[in-house]
Amino acid sequence: MTMPAGDAPPLAVEGLRKAYRRGVVLDGVSFTLRPGEAVALLGGNGAGKSTLLGCVTGDRLPDRGEVRLCGHDPFKDPTAAAGCIGFVPEQPFLYGELTVGELLQFVAAARRMDASAARAECGRLLGMLGLAGAEGTLCRELSQGMGRKTAIIAALLHRPRAILLDEALNGLDRPSAERLLAELDARRAEGAAVLISSHDLELVAEWCSRGLLLRGGGWWAMLEGAEWEAWRRAPSLEAGSATSD
Amino acid sequence: MTPNPLRLLLSLETRRAADPIRNPSAGTWISVGVPAVLGVAALWLGADSVRPDLRGGDGAITLGLMVSAPVAFWAYPILFRPADDALLRRLGIPARASYWLRAMRLAALALLILVLLMIPYAATGTLGPLPLAVAATAGLMAWGTSLSSLSGAAETIANPGRRLELTSMMMGPDAELVRAGPLVWAPLPPVIFGAFAARIALVGVLPPAAWLAAFAGLAAVLALRGAGRFERAAPRFLPQAAEMAYAPAPETGDAGLVIGRGLARVLPPRAGAVRARDAAVVARRFRWAGRIVWPVSVVCVLAILRAGERPAVQGWVAAAGALVLGMQAAAIIGLGRLERGGRRWLDRAAGLATADRLLGRWAAAFGMALALVIPVGITWAMILPGSGAWTWVAAAAASALVASAASLAAAGR
Repeated sequence: MTMPAGDAPPLAVEGLRKAYRRGVVLDGVSFTLRPGEAVALLGGNGAGKSTLLGCVTGDRLPDRGEVRLCGHDPFKDPTAAAGCIGFVPEQPFLYGELTVGELLQFVAAARRMDASAARAECGRLLGMLGLAGAEGTLCRELSQGMGRKTAIIAALLHRPRAILLDEALNGLDRPSAERLLAELDARRAEGAAVLISSHDLELVAEWCSRGLLLRGGGWWAMLEGAEWEAWRRAPSLEAGSATSD
Repeated sequence: MTPNPLRLLLSLETRRAADPIRNPSAGTWISVGVPAVLGVAALWLGADSVRPDLRGGDGAITLGLMVSAPVAFWAYPILFRPADDALLRRLGIPARASYWLRAMRLAALALLILVLLMIPYAATGTLGPLPLAVAATAGLMAWGTSLSSLSGAAETIANPGRRLELTSMMMGPDAELVRAGPLVWAPLPPVIFGAFAARIALVGVLPPAAWLAAFAGLAAVLALRGAGRFERAAPRFLPQAAEMAYAPAPETGDAGLVIGRGLARVLPPRAGAVRARDAAVVARRFRWAGRIVWPVSVVCVLAILRAGERPAVQGWVAAAGALVLGMQAAAIIGLGRLERGGRRWLDRAAGLATADRLLGRWAAAFGMALALVIPVGITWAMILPGSGAWTWVAAAAASALVASAASLAAAGR
């Protein structure tokens, strides 16, 4: 299934299954994230959204199924797969001992970015999210929203082809959220794809072109076309018909 | 020019380690400094009891075990459970670079243990090349074997086509524990080989320094072997290691917190609530702190009953008791560190004063130690009348007080 990274879709998931002690969470989930599109990851608490994102990013080991990030398997070629994604987890880890500037400097170096280009991009993203001047603040002193913004910048810095956001808009003020969506639109125009999980159903209904609905117990449905249009008019976590059975 | 990943990680590590100096806070210094000073003082004052006698092979084995056991048991969290593991993998840091950084952290731990164990020798004027060489040999061997053994266990578990080994099938009915079987056994080789190497260094045909050099070479080979194993295991095992931290609901979960039972009734209600909460969190988050008590208590009671009149036995019982109290103090301080970064909001919202938190946490810490100091203290009083059995209770109360104060300091604002 390996394709040249340039031609491969940003994200392809095939037959993904994951179970915990308490039961099956994901069963046979399959979808592809095409360049330029934004897909909503929908579901109530505990439905498996974070588990799905974890399996995609290599943070959780699926029981079955395949994941390809720009054609790379995150469990066989993690370094190549890591270059393709920018991920903001629901509870991002930040080095509390580093300042925002130092953290972003580290991320840029780990991503092997050119130092001056990284500095310029950091400055632009910090300004966009209203963090200009916060470069010298220790990460442990950041508020929840500022910490999340820092994690978002760290995820977008290297211009990834697959952008995965787990409740990334939580804690963001409205202007910052709008500027972030505008930035994501610009990234999509360049060919990046976005998979976003959010409890703000109106927002994702407006912004995304498809939706992957999870309800726990392995139930899932990809809402697209007429089904998605119908869902957008009355967003609800109860809608949709199962694809998994 | 892009930096070498290991060099990048080392510069990050240096920066993080320097945080208490770059951004000093009273809480950090108190939570680390006070227990460290007290621990060093205890090792200095109790030097005669805790210093293995290196005139024979048994003493070398004991010193070897004292060095290698903590290295072997801390190797797992150091290698596989650092808080930034997922972030580093997502940033594309190669597994080999992460491995060598973690190997250096384990080496630093071994060095710290070695320094601590040399304090009793310094206090008794017996510090010299011999104890240093014996302890360093054990430390090096435990370090190399831990890296190889644990990485090998991880590789076995991560292998999708793995067939269960007999040793894993012996683990019991829990399927997850059976799957993790190789990791359960993995700390044994470093403990055994560390002690074995210490004995050879002391009584072998070559001088201790020669053995030290030989074992250093062997440890380096084992560490290199571990690097390959870790690299192969990392992509599939590290996500599994994160999931292994999942704790099933406690069996007593439905019963709720037990507030104000037994001696805890004398506490003011708010402090009583803090005690119940802290005791439950410590028991679940730092389960080892509670589990260590019973085996040590039983062994200490049996030792006092059988040979309590011998000063050496008294010394070892005191040392074992101090070790348990030290471990429990570490768990209580760890609780404070968990609260760092905002988790204290619940206490603030509930209007808990510092005095309530201190008293409650002290009561939780003291309660945890009672399972040790009551049986050992009573047996001590029975066998050695007039020898100050109450010292055990007083030591537990004082240790709990220091740990609780350090814990609150660690929790920060």
